Amino acid sequence: MIDRIRRVFGPIWPDFNPQDNKHLDPYLTFTDYRTIWVVGISVLVATALMPLLVVTIIHYQLLQKSVDSELILRAERLASNARRAATFFLEERLGALRFTVSEIAYDQLTDPDHLAEILRNLKLGFGGLTDLSVIAHTGTQAAYAGPFNLEGRDYSNQSWFIECQKHYFYVSEIFRGYRDVPHIIIAVKSLRPDGSFFILRATLDTDRLIQTLSSYETGAHAELFLINRSGIVQTPSRHHGEIFEKMSLSVPVYSRRTQVAMAEDEQKQPIIAGYAYISTQIADTPFILMLIKHKAGMMQTWQQLRSNINWFVGFAILIILVVVTLTCSYMVNMLYRADKSKAETMALMEQSNQLATIGQLAAGVAHEINNPLALINETAGYVKDLFVLKEKFHQDDELIGYIDDILDAVERCGTITRQLLGFARKFEVKIQKVNLKDIISDVLVFHNKEAAYRNIQVHVDVPEDMPPVESDRGKLQQILVNLVNNAFQALDNGCILDIKASPAGADKVRICISDNGCGMPEDNLPKIFEPFFTTKEGNKGTGLGLAITYGLVKKLHGDITVISKVDEGTTFTITLPTRVIKEISENEGSTG
Amino acid sequence: MKQYHLLIVDDEKRFADMLAKRLILRGCHCDVCYNGQQALDLIRQKDFFLILLDLHLPDIYGTEVLKRIKAISAQTPVVILTGHGTAEDRRACMQQGAYAFWHKPLGIEQLMVILAQIGEISP
Repeated sequence: MIDRIRRVFGPIWPDFNPQDNKHLDPYLTFTDYRTIWVVGISVLVATALMPLLVVTIIHYQLLQKSVDSELILRAERLASNARRAATFFLEERLGALRFTVSEIAYDQLTDPDHLAEILRNLKLGFGGLTDLSVIAHTGTQAAYAGPFNLEGRDYSNQSWFIECQKHYFYVSEIFRGYRDVPHIIIAVKSLRPDGSFFILRATLDTDRLIQTLSSYETGAHAELFLINRSGIVQTPSRHHGEIFEKMSLSVPVYSRRTQVAMAEDEQKQPIIAGYAYISTQIADTPFILMLIKHKAGMMQTWQQLRSNINWFVGFAILIILVVVTLTCSYMVNMLYRADKSKAETMALMEQSNQLATIGQLAAGVAHEINNPLALINETAGYVKDLFVLKEKFHQDDELIGYIDDILDAVERCGTITRQLLGFARKFEVKIQKVNLKDIISDVLVFHNKEAAYRNIQVHVDVPEDMPPVESDRGKLQQILVNLVNNAFQALDNGCILDIKASPAGADKVRICISDNGCGMPEDNLPKIFEPFFTTKEGNKGTGLGLAITYGLVKKLHGDITVISKVDEGTTFTITLPTRVIKEISENEGSTG
Repeated sequence: MKQYHLLIVDDEKRFADMLAKRLILRGCHCDVCYNGQQALDLIRQKDFFLILLDLHLPDIYGTEVLKRIKAISAQTPVVILTGHGTAEDRRACMQQGAYAFWHKPLGIEQLMVILAQIGEISP
């Protein structure tokens, strides 16, 4: 499973330091490939993304600024226009009342027919007037023209009457009044020749004003409405409060000019808020014109553009990440492989250097010992000759026995030095007739003590009529030593090692080395002959033993196979030709 | 037994002397030299049945001595007897017509067998 994941993610998450390559660490030029890989990817990604991100951010900021200023400008224009319209609406009607009181005498105005005539004319001229009434200085209604019968009412305590006395002109808020219909009162005070005064009052239809304002509303995201100075909503608002209720936003501070600013509404949504205190040239009014634009709505087009840019940038970033990761992984992997292969070569060279050094040492020792050994041999031999040839000692078996012991010891030492030389592989040639039984015994000599100590039974089964094999003794010996070593490492104390040799067809022999040790998992079997593959923990194994063995078997034109089951054991089978034609057999000589 | 006349060439003086004594006991006639030049001089004067030649001689290396021996007396069998010879040495000696290439220590009985073999071949 992990292997499969590794294979899939290999190109983007390479495995630089697998455990089985630990022995190569000293030969690698760079040790921390993971860091090189991470730094490489980071630097490339940063270099590629930085300009993209900076440009995108600058672009966003410019866009934001220009959009904001454009929105504010438009809102300002709209608010100013609406303010002018509302101001004009009120100013026009105040002007008409002022004209009326200046032009027409009190007596005529209090004539109901005349007043009705004037109302009709005003409706024709300006529209938006509901009724007209004349109020005497006492506060009593002197004349009325309009749909309601309000004649004779006393307004002396009403605030508008008091205000109008003070300021000559009056514009009321929108209110329901006696008739329970939203309306605005405008009033003009006029002095009579006798020094008393009267007030001409008109009721304005709010629908006309609302209509005028709504004609300025643009789109679903902007709304225009009036509030009074205490923040009570005067004309219908969709989002910011019912009519005659407190506006949900706070009342803006007084300003003579139209103001527009970015703000947030009660739901913390960004809005563009504009307002203007409405004041006619004739009289001040209680109205504040509010313009509220919901930014989110206004920004929809921009948002779409922004979202497109976001997608594009996101996609570009993804492409950059993938390309950079793949490229970097590929490059670092190549570097790693090159380094690894160099390290493997160096490790192999060091290994062979070590072997060569050991070989030289062994050869040196053998050489130095062979000469004195030869002298002992000849001297003891001479003594024996003397005993054998001189009658005096001829029958002394005891003395002869001692000398034979010396000669045997020399012979044994000679065998050891020859083996040393054999392992040093100084005499490389050597296709010679090899008796398998002998060579197996020679190899096992090295393991006798260990086998006895660990109570490992070693069974050797070589048929008596087994023909000798023409092969390289040294190489064959090394192959067997490696495999027997391997088996000994796999075996628990008290287990069994079987070595069998048998003919395999006319011109081949088969040697099987089986143990009933720990065995190997099936996954490992295809890899065991690869150089540096080892399952031994830590630095115990070089991973070269079986690789060398494989190479040697191939050199001898043979074949090696392995069968293994976990906890059941392992069997190595070597098949060798009985004759190797290539090289010429040589006589090792008397001591061979 | 036929009296063989042998030449032992070895810088290990005591080894060469001892080997000579043993061969004399076995009825051979032995000359002993401790360096290459001495051996070549002797070979020019006498005919030998067999020459035992060491490789590591103080003056001339064994393979060169062998070459010169073969130049003087091509028929004389030469057995190389060395403490340690390399594969190169073996190849060079066998090419130049050495009879055998042996390592010390020597089994004298095997030498006697070889002498008998040569004795049967040569008149």
